[in-house]
Amino acid sequence: MSVNVDADPRDFVEGLPNIGIMLQDITEVDSSLFVTAFWSMLETIEMAFIGTVVGVAIALPLSLLSARNLNSKFVYVPVRALLAAIRTFPSILWAILFVIIVGLGPFAGVLAIIMYTVGFIAKLQYEAIEAIDADPMDAVGAIGVSKLQLIRFVVLPESASHLLSQILYIFDYNIRQTSILGLVGAGGIGFYIINYIKFFEYGKAAVFMLVVLATVLIIDWVSVRIRDKYIVKSQRGMQVKS
Amino acid sequence: MQEQKGSTSKSISTLSIVQMNDVSASYDSKDYVLKNIRLSIPRGSNYAIVGQSGSGKSTLLRLINGMMHPSKGKVLVDYKVPNTSDRKFKPFMHKIGYIPQNLGLIKNSTVLENILIGALPRVNGFNSFFKNFSDSEINNAKKILKQVGLQGKAERKVYMLSGGEKRRVAIARALVQKPEIILADEIVSELDHVTAREIMDVLAEAQSTMKLTAIMVHHDLQLALEYADRVAVIKDGEKILEIGVEADRIVDFQTGNYTQKEILEMFNTESKE
Repeated sequence: MSVNVDADPRDFVEGLPNIGIMLQDITEVDSSLFVTAFWSMLETIEMAFIGTVVGVAIALPLSLLSARNLNSKFVYVPVRALLAAIRTFPSILWAILFVIIVGLGPFAGVLAIIMYTVGFIAKLQYEAIEAIDADPMDAVGAIGVSKLQLIRFVVLPESASHLLSQILYIFDYNIRQTSILGLVGAGGIGFYIINYIKFFEYGKAAVFMLVVLATVLIIDWVSVRIRDKYIVKSQRGMQVKS
Repeated sequence: MQEQKGSTSKSISTLSIVQMNDVSASYDSKDYVLKNIRLSIPRGSNYAIVGQSGSGKSTLLRLINGMMHPSKGKVLVDYKVPNTSDRKFKPFMHKIGYIPQNLGLIKNSTVLENILIGALPRVNGFNSFFKNFSDSEINNAKKILKQVGLQGKAERKVYMLSGGEKRRVAIARALVQKPEIILADEIVSELDHVTAREIMDVLAEAQSTMKLTAIMVHHDLQLALEYADRVAVIKDGEKILEIGVEADRIVDFQTGNYTQKEILEMFNTESKE
């Protein structure tokens, strides 16, 4: 069986000059749009932030329920199945679904980000919980403490640096994701980018893309700082080369 | 042989706190890690279990705190069958301070947080979730920190401590439990000579002042004889000797057949193996 994907190298060669046109257009940056871009980026960050916070808050208890070293299989199997189902959809599909449910706008985007964050963080976190050193679990478990106490005093502190690192990663990722959710009308800066591109106004789209780029760089810088302060140091005092 | 510490001042109750009758244990139901162990550990004693690595010493401790169950025979701890999943045994689990070989400390938590874990059985779920300990618990924990020589280090994170200090934290956590029994698995085996004795002194002091039963696993016979009232020697899962020091001489309590010379020779050939 073969599928014709209509891949013709000639199309690519013939299309190459279009890059030139686009690049030329992009350089004609419309600086009057920077204010709009700034505010829509702020909206995007806000969406990503709320989505990350709420998503992590939902993911954390789910990850505790899916860890095999804390629960019987009657608990972790169904919870893991639920998480796998959530992860099946990429965020853009969740966004389309929520646009249908709650209508156009940032709320649909926030819901999509929450779903994606839940599926993703819960999985990474239950893996981190399962990788916790068995010794503290044994030693504290042998005292006869309750499961909640075990979670509070062993599981959470032992997996905290993993969690922080994953939250930073997913926040960074969510900002980039939220930037494209506008494509399906779920709010954020992507709405402007897709519309200017549709009307071949690459110079205007470029303003928005530059703002996204700058934001991602800033977030990256901040998360490196947070990582150095709270994560790297707690892992045997690693030396960072400056 | 060095002089045994505090042997004259100690009064050992003849009632045993741990009793093992022909206990065998295995992890895979094929090879027995322990075979037909008979033990009677007197309440309030400082008891040592000595053997080469892989001889089943650690398993013996896990049988006592109920994390493992014998395949044959019966273990009794304070006249109860130890079993961590048995609700009836839970109140007694609070009374057993267990220090595993790798200590089981929470390395990203502070020293004080680590040792307050020992007080958790006395704190309700709500308060423990918010790390809300009563003043008397915190004062008691700080008193024990001082007792083990960690004063001024309460807020230090555990990963910043030295090997000796980490062992002191583990001891303190067990003592905060207000235990009746302390189980320590090769707690000083990786330490240098001086630090090892410092740690053993801390434990011996706590054992006698708090009237605990200390059951410690070692691989160094000399160290065990120096501190313990009785030493059980385990070889290939079997208890081959139970010895102690009386009037500066090593005495065979199990059969009474061996002289000090024979015991030392036996041990010398064993350590050369």
